Amino acid sequence: MHALLDLKDVPQLADLPNPPGQLFFIGKPHKQLFQNCVSIVGSRQITEYGKRVIELLVPKLVFEKKVIISGFMRGVDQYAHRACVENGGKTIAVLGWGIDTILSPEDKKLADDIVSHGGILLSEWQTQRSTLWTFPVRNRIVAALAQEVYIIEAGLKSGSLITANWAIKLKRKLFAVPGSVTSRVSEGTNMLIANGLAKMWCGIQQPTQKSSDDPILHALEQEPLTINQLSRNLNKPIAELGASLSLLLLSGQLVERDGVYYKK
Amino acid sequence: MLTKIRSTANIGLTTIPIDVEVDVATAGFPGFTIVGLASKAVEEARERVKTAIINSGFDFPPKKITVNLAPADIPKDGAAYDLPIAVGILIASEQLPDEIVFDLKKQFFYGELSLDGTLRPTRGVLLLALFAKNITGSQLFVPEASANEASVINIPVYPIPTLHRLIQHFVKTKPIDTLSYLPIKDALDSEPPEFDLSEIAGQEQAKRAIIIAASGGHNMLMFGPPGTGKTMLARALPGILPPLTEQEALEVTRIYSISGLLPPGASLVTKRPFRAPHHGVSTVGLIGGGSNPMPGEVSLAHLGVLFLDEMPEFPRSALESLRQPMEDGTVEIVRVAGHVRYPASFTLLSAINPCPCGYLGHPKRTCTCSERQIARYRHRISGPILDRIDLHVSVSVIAVDKLSQSLKNNPNAITSCQAKKMVMDAREVQTKRFANTKIYTNSQMKNKDVKRFCILTPESENILKLASETYNFSARSYIRMIKVARTIADLDHKKDILPIHVAEALQYKQMV
Repeated sequence: MHALLDLKDVPQLADLPNPPGQLFFIGKPHKQLFQNCVSIVGSRQITEYGKRVIELLVPKLVFEKKVIISGFMRGVDQYAHRACVENGGKTIAVLGWGIDTILSPEDKKLADDIVSHGGILLSEWQTQRSTLWTFPVRNRIVAALAQEVYIIEAGLKSGSLITANWAIKLKRKLFAVPGSVTSRVSEGTNMLIANGLAKMWCGIQQPTQKSSDDPILHALEQEPLTINQLSRNLNKPIAELGASLSLLLLSGQLVERDGVYYKK
Repeated sequence: MLTKIRSTANIGLTTIPIDVEVDVATAGFPGFTIVGLASKAVEEARERVKTAIINSGFDFPPKKITVNLAPADIPKDGAAYDLPIAVGILIASEQLPDEIVFDLKKQFFYGELSLDGTLRPTRGVLLLALFAKNITGSQLFVPEASANEASVINIPVYPIPTLHRLIQHFVKTKPIDTLSYLPIKDALDSEPPEFDLSEIAGQEQAKRAIIIAASGGHNMLMFGPPGTGKTMLARALPGILPPLTEQEALEVTRIYSISGLLPPGASLVTKRPFRAPHHGVSTVGLIGGGSNPMPGEVSLAHLGVLFLDEMPEFPRSALESLRQPMEDGTVEIVRVAGHVRYPASFTLLSAINPCPCGYLGHPKRTCTCSERQIARYRHRISGPILDRIDLHVSVSVIAVDKLSQSLKNNPNAITSCQAKKMVMDAREVQTKRFANTKIYTNSQMKNKDVKRFCILTPESENILKLASETYNFSARSYIRMIKVARTIADLDHKKDILPIHVAEALQYKQMV
């Protein structure tokens, strides 16, 4: 089942004052897996907003061939793993318990999917049970492995803030997603931004702002439309438009829900 | 005296010659018996024939009359034996002048009598004519109102208005002219379609899907809230299908003739059928049946369109019974009286609402259904049925103001006439490709045919593989996508299936 990881593959862990003595894994790691990593962490109570943020962020990271690291907790962590797998990306789950622990059926399914898509499960323990102290300890690895750390949603007392602190200490790039000031689960992330500890992540508009030359994407940037509306707006034959939309959907630049197309 | 008159019985679409033997005996008590597995309708011929003979100015002999319908072991139904029995009695009771010469072997009598002696429209006349065509020198004597059905067959057909006129014809006081032969080609005029595609506002994608469905013979499902034009789109489909060929027109008319659905005076079904049974239809109503099995809606839609509106509202058993006809193009009905096979090769067009109330996802109205109701509603159509539907298309709500705005040089504007041309071209490509096979359209290809006839470029294959990963296609959906892409390529006059064809086909993947 599990195996020991060669610590030479993960030199970035040496930045830690207390690097793990050993790392167990399940899956098939290769050196490149650890070279271009991004951590995505957040609260266990995920909101619809949090989900949308992940649906927006993860495909972009996967497209940039980044490996997504998270803590395999319910909520933001697992949603990030799931989104990564669904987008065909590789993801690393750093467990807050021993590698040999038996998982619940849902967790097992996600774990299997992670492994079958070329990702791994990682832990510094073999049989350790999950207790209060194991999660914060695990967080230092989540922060150390990555070059960038994204905090999606976090309350003021969230464990994600521990990861954020590690990221600051280890001089990793830290991003926090701003949220509503009335939302409990955004208090932590807003605080990070307000105190200047993290950069504010405002979605992916800025880099793609150079506005696409594709008229379809351009039209959908303004408002979501059905294929029929698009054909009227662009004055394009429906057959050709349908083919283009299918390809844009497959390349992940659009999403479709109930016949309406949205720009990602 | 004993006499024998020729008539026919129809069992399903098979016609069997029947000898109506009439004996008017001089000995014995007066009476009137019909033997030979006669149904209630045939039994009752006694009263009709008796009254009709008297009201036509002849005597009904007060003698022992026995009628035998031979062969005796085939069940006989319907009122078509009234005329042969009446003629038989008149001959056997020696009421007709001696100089009349009958050629009873070649003359077929067929028709229902009314009490005053007039002949009523009778079903199945076309089948009789098709049968009689194979007997040289045959002549038909059939009710005037139904005679036109036989006019497309080149044999002498005498349209008979009344029993009295028939006798006048034989005694040559007032001969009846035979119907003039109407070649099928002339009967098949191209009538304008009932609904023109150009009348339908918006729904560009659904219109395109209808054209693809018509070209490849694909079954299609439309998904969308009420009032978005699903029914209009369905009604436009027959108008863009290629016109019936002579052979096809005969095949369809045969079914309508036996069902008695041809209006009096009509000769041939010239339009492709469009059947839209209500969702209260029973299984028997849909696939056919009855003690003397009659064609159901699937057979009445043969070579045309079967439209099931609000598909999930149909009884599940009725929907499941569609599987065999959808697969084989025929339906086999087994009853005590024997089994009958009717053709049932139709294009299935179905419409479903997104939820029981119909307004799920509607931009302005709210849906009042619970999650469970919605799930139950969608589960009513089984996987095997959905699997046989190649095209799934969403029909969206259109705002009224958008409808009125007309586009200049709209690239999607299309009339039924133009669409029909596209469809016929695509069908021609298919006919050429499937020469020497039993397939006519792309939808009929089996897996091995798909391998043989559908060549995907490597890039197309890659797109399809990627899509099947992304959308979790089953093996069957994968094949279905290839078939649809094949039709799109045919519409585009391309030999190989190119990436754009596959990409467009993906627009019509299953949604629910």
